[in-house]
Amino acid sequence: MAALGGRGSAAAALLLRRPGPGLRPVPRRYRYKEKWAATAPRIPCTRLALHHFDMSYSLQLKDLWPSVRASLLCEQKYGALLNNFSADNYVTQELELMNATDFVSEGSKKAQQGAAAEEVARGESRLQEASGKVRTVMQTETMTQAETSLPLRASISSNIKCYTYPRGDITRFRPARQDCLGLLDYYLMDAASVLPVLALNVQRGDLVLDLCAAPGGKTLALLQTGLCGHLAANDVSISRTKRLYNILHSYVPKEIRETVSVTSYDGRDWEKLEGGTFHKVLVDVPCTTDRHSVMEEENNIFHKRRTKERQMLPMLQLQLLMAGILATKPGGEVVYSTCSLSSLQNECVIERAVDIAETQFNITVHVEDLSHFRTLFQDTFSFSDCRLGELVLPHLTANFGPMYFCKLRRV
Amino acid sequence: MAARLLRVCGRAAGLCPRRGCGEAAGLRAMGFSQEQARRLLGVEPRLGPQRREAAVAQLLLLGLNAEAALGLLERSPGLLRMPKEQLQERAGELRRLGLDGGQLQRAVSRCPELFTLPRKRMAAAVRLLRERCLLTAEQLREVLWTCPNVLLEEPHQLHHHFQYVYFRMGVQQKEIVKARLFRMSFAELRNRHIFLERRGLYQTPYKGQTQTNNPKLKDIVQLSEKDFLANLACSTPEEYEVFKKLLAREEEEEENRGALYTDKDEDFDSEGSKAA
Repeated sequence: MAALGGRGSAAAALLLRRPGPGLRPVPRRYRYKEKWAATAPRIPCTRLALHHFDMSYSLQLKDLWPSVRASLLCEQKYGALLNNFSADNYVTQELELMNATDFVSEGSKKAQQGAAAEEVARGESRLQEASGKVRTVMQTETMTQAETSLPLRASISSNIKCYTYPRGDITRFRPARQDCLGLLDYYLMDAASVLPVLALNVQRGDLVLDLCAAPGGKTLALLQTGLCGHLAANDVSISRTKRLYNILHSYVPKEIRETVSVTSYDGRDWEKLEGGTFHKVLVDVPCTTDRHSVMEEENNIFHKRRTKERQMLPMLQLQLLMAGILATKPGGEVVYSTCSLSSLQNECVIERAVDIAETQFNITVHVEDLSHFRTLFQDTFSFSDCRLGELVLPHLTANFGPMYFCKLRRV
Repeated sequence: MAARLLRVCGRAAGLCPRRGCGEAAGLRAMGFSQEQARRLLGVEPRLGPQRREAAVAQLLLLGLNAEAALGLLERSPGLLRMPKEQLQERAGELRRLGLDGGQLQRAVSRCPELFTLPRKRMAAAVRLLRERCLLTAEQLREVLWTCPNVLLEEPHQLHHHFQYVYFRMGVQQKEIVKARLFRMSFAELRNRHIFLERRGLYQTPYKGQTQTNNPKLKDIVQLSEKDFLANLACSTPEEYEVFKKLLAREEEEEENRGALYTDKDEDFDSEGSKAA
């Protein structure tokens, strides 16, 4: 999402353009004059988008949709991704004083407590068994914790620090400030966007590919882990790649920037360039960007001239995911993420991709279980049930998302 | 009965000229108990006995019983300071607007400031409701006795309130009056309406649409917050609290932006403002 770093508060207010229905004044030159008009009145794209979502999501989310709808129409909540490369200017203390917490470290603490409790419980259950009592509930709990605590402990201690205000707190972060080296201290983004990067679980020295990198929030988060051996950031749009460059120059020092290669190829052609070379691939595909579509009129994908583009989106997403899968080494991992709630763009794409990989390319891909994310981060985010992957739902108290992410492992 | 009380009061005042017990006796003759008379004397103690008795007499003429009149005076002692003629005149005006007997009593007990309101203010509010909001005389009468505080509001705000409900919520005068709209503050109404709208439960009717699935204005305005959230909005109190804060902030920024762009909007034109 847009970084508010560096801009003044007046400009920030200007960014909050809200096209409300009803009594909003319209400049006289744009007003629809029925007697003279040759075409039907312009319906704003945001209203078209909202109508479209009302039709599809009320069936998909049922009772949860009114809550989600209200949250999408209200101001979103940001998280502050700390820049580990900037000099420590007591940013952490400042944020803690304002009552913000780092949800990643909170999650990792929870995981460690869970692991410790599991040890104790295991000892207890052994005693119980010995005394003849079988506490199945306790046992299954410890089993799941045993299975999940190891992978998540590794992923959560990934150096990423993202501060958010607690549930129900709507305070805004101040714009980011530069330190003595000229690097900004944090990057304001939707905190839910950090989750796919955490799911990717980058290990030291990994070769990482970000297939649709611009405008660069997740790319920055990947660099914050400090574990990428080499990061290839690609985006088909040159103008958006410029924003990626800006972010890299504002946040990342020169020596780290040299480990990043920014390219502007069409992501679908990736296998022709270099297939099977990456350990970790992040495919953050273009989608209907639900939140943006109901709030911003500019460049809205629900505009009439972009209808074809919008209808071809699932196909494009599938092709990008296939390219991502083909770009991974055997044993490597792919995380697919979108910022849309639509199951057509989420689970259906995953299922098709797994199917095509099996049938056309003879590659077996497993969908990894990320349910431990839900337990660890349920205090900060609102999760929803999906048959594949995880979906963060916007809720008025925790207005992050929507964010869908799913992890695939190439066997 | 009121006239009889007045005659008694006159005789009693003549009989006992000394201040303290004379006044009390006068009030007792009007129908107040010893206790009530004492309390009444406590309100605005420096006031002369004639003025006090005249004001009280006017209130009794309206039909209020002793206890109600006392309660009213205790809530707004300013009434005692008003000259008898003004009270009579105001009561007459309210009667001309159609309030009579029980309705007038109820209006006054709900809103004692009806009497202390400056005449121009009241006339302006009434004119607004008749000419701009296009309420019939019958509807005006009903609004006055159910929500007398409507006369206390600043006309500009009142007009905005009405226009919001008429255009943005698409509710006609009949339903507005039946729902006792003006009992709820504009801010609270707006919170509730926008909460429903953003949840997809309320749609502004388009031009020519007569039937909508929107919740009734009566329910929106009269339900308590707990019932509103549970039955109408189907939501939780936490969500509503956060929503109210977010909306307040949005409105503040809208105002600031309006202030920022004051010299820019010459050709701006508000949509659909018919009845001014």
